[in-house]
Amino acid sequence: MITSQQLIERIQKNVGVPWQSQQSDGFSDGILFGSPEATVTGIVTTWTPTLDVLRKAVSSAKNVIICRQAPSYSRGERAPVAWRNAPAPSKEMLDKDPVWETKQDFISKNNLLIIRFCDNWDARRTDGQLRGLAKALGWKKFHLAQSAKDGYEPRNVYFRLPATSLNNLAEGIKKKLNIQGFRVIGKPESSIAKVALTHGLLLVADAEQILREPGVDAIVTGDAVEWEAAPYFQDVVAAGKAKGLILLGDEASEEPGSGEVADWLKGFVTEVPIEWIPAGDPFWVLS
Amino acid sequence: MKLSRRKFCQVAGTGLLVASPLVRALGQSPSTLTAREVVARIKKNVGVPWFTPTADDFKIGDPDAPITGITTTFMSTLDVLQRSAAAGNNFVITHEPTFWSAADVVSDLREDPLYNYKLNFLEKNKMVVWRFHDHWHAHRPADGIFTGWNKAMGWESYASPGANPFSHEYVIPETSFEDLARDMQKKLNTHSMRLVGDPKLRVTKVAHAGHYIQQCMQVLANVDVVLVFECREWEAAEYVRDAIASGQKKALIQLPHEGGEEAGMDECARWMKTFVTEVPIKFIPSGDPFWMPT
Repeated sequence: MITSQQLIERIQKNVGVPWQSQQSDGFSDGILFGSPEATVTGIVTTWTPTLDVLRKAVSSAKNVIICRQAPSYSRGERAPVAWRNAPAPSKEMLDKDPVWETKQDFISKNNLLIIRFCDNWDARRTDGQLRGLAKALGWKKFHLAQSAKDGYEPRNVYFRLPATSLNNLAEGIKKKLNIQGFRVIGKPESSIAKVALTHGLLLVADAEQILREPGVDAIVTGDAVEWEAAPYFQDVVAAGKAKGLILLGDEASEEPGSGEVADWLKGFVTEVPIEWIPAGDPFWVLS
Repeated sequence: MKLSRRKFCQVAGTGLLVASPLVRALGQSPSTLTAREVVARIKKNVGVPWFTPTADDFKIGDPDAPITGITTTFMSTLDVLQRSAAAGNNFVITHEPTFWSAADVVSDLREDPLYNYKLNFLEKNKMVVWRFHDHWHAHRPADGIFTGWNKAMGWESYASPGANPFSHEYVIPETSFEDLARDMQKKLNTHSMRLVGDPKLRVTKVAHAGHYIQQCMQVLANVDVVLVFECREWEAAEYVRDAIASGQKKALIQLPHEGGEEAGMDECARWMKTFVTEVPIKFIPSGDPFWMPT
């Protein structure tokens, strides 16, 4: 038997970095919903706890959900302006919101525990999100790793792929990840070989830093603010400094990392079943 | 020789107006109008008192130098600046930033080769960039961006004010969600529209929900379809996905930022022509930045 408090303590012991839990300005890692004394019946890892993911967890008799995004559609106030784009909805607004009410009812009726695990996972020496995404893409063998040990230290983001066109690269990735909401900047016929792979939201400072490495043809990432890194990349292409930006979508770029979290947990939590349930691409597109 | 307006625009459109021998040959003295004078006219015509703080200001160039022509655009990308220079317009009025941040902060960009490339292009071509964002939204009688968007969609007669200043609501003739999306894609000339919801859902009430999750929460209850652009992917799309999972009949269209606002800068060019007649004025679309693989 293991309680949710014991689970958190075990995660803290194994994470390998000093635990940061007191962020004064928003959602921090730890229990967002549920009691520390509750007995864990099973663990689901996911990018974001959608109602659909919560239902799947309940139907497989798992009561703990470990996620990157908070369930209430916001990152709170914790992130810099460019990341959050808006303050979190107020408590008054959430309390009278019918969608949130349904979700909250489902969480409490089923005694679910929602544990956010993002900042501390990202603070580890190995970028688990990057490793998960590289694996999902089948790119491990193309990684220009700078260390023999693991290779997925943060900023170790470069891959040399067999040369192909930007369009072929994009089509291949789309098929591999089985996603729809997939956007590209650059000329489809450009030849691409050296690619930087990142996840989540790409900021201008990230793009600038990544492109300091010589010979980078394209960046593959999750999302970009449309008055920041997206037009920055339009200009990068217009100036001939690189050839393409592929935006997988935030979910698609971060979700394989939740699979890594599940695998990692299995190394030190053996009492209960652990399952990665992807939230899935939220979007469809016109054909 | 008096130049007809049509001829004048043709000449200006080729970029030849800046070549003074031709101007002299045509007997037309070059305009002495400056960017600062144009902005003064905008302030006089915008219909609201000018307010601060505001992003609406000169971002680069000499506001007191004579201008050769005016470009209005949604986003002053390098491509738009190049096309503007080729069209002979050295004054660019942009709705969105030039240097990739809301406040066009350049202090961190001094070493960035791309920043320097763009800066050199602007300086070499003696271009002036002025941002027109806050006050074009504040324009009265109506937000200039939405006026342009409503015209582009042909939805002027369906529009009514929404729950907040950015949430215009529309009651359109009933259609399916998919057909609405197709119609919108065509009229707004976008190719990176992303959708949440049942393609066959019958829809008639549609609203803009701005960029933020709070706005989406405010409007979703009253409508079938929310339109959003430039929002974080863990906000509106996930909210509407849960609304649908909880049994509500709702849908979401996530447009590129241009799809939501670019038509408003076409409107801006039309509006400015009513009080700036000395130089040509042209809307140059920055266009949907994205494409999607099949």
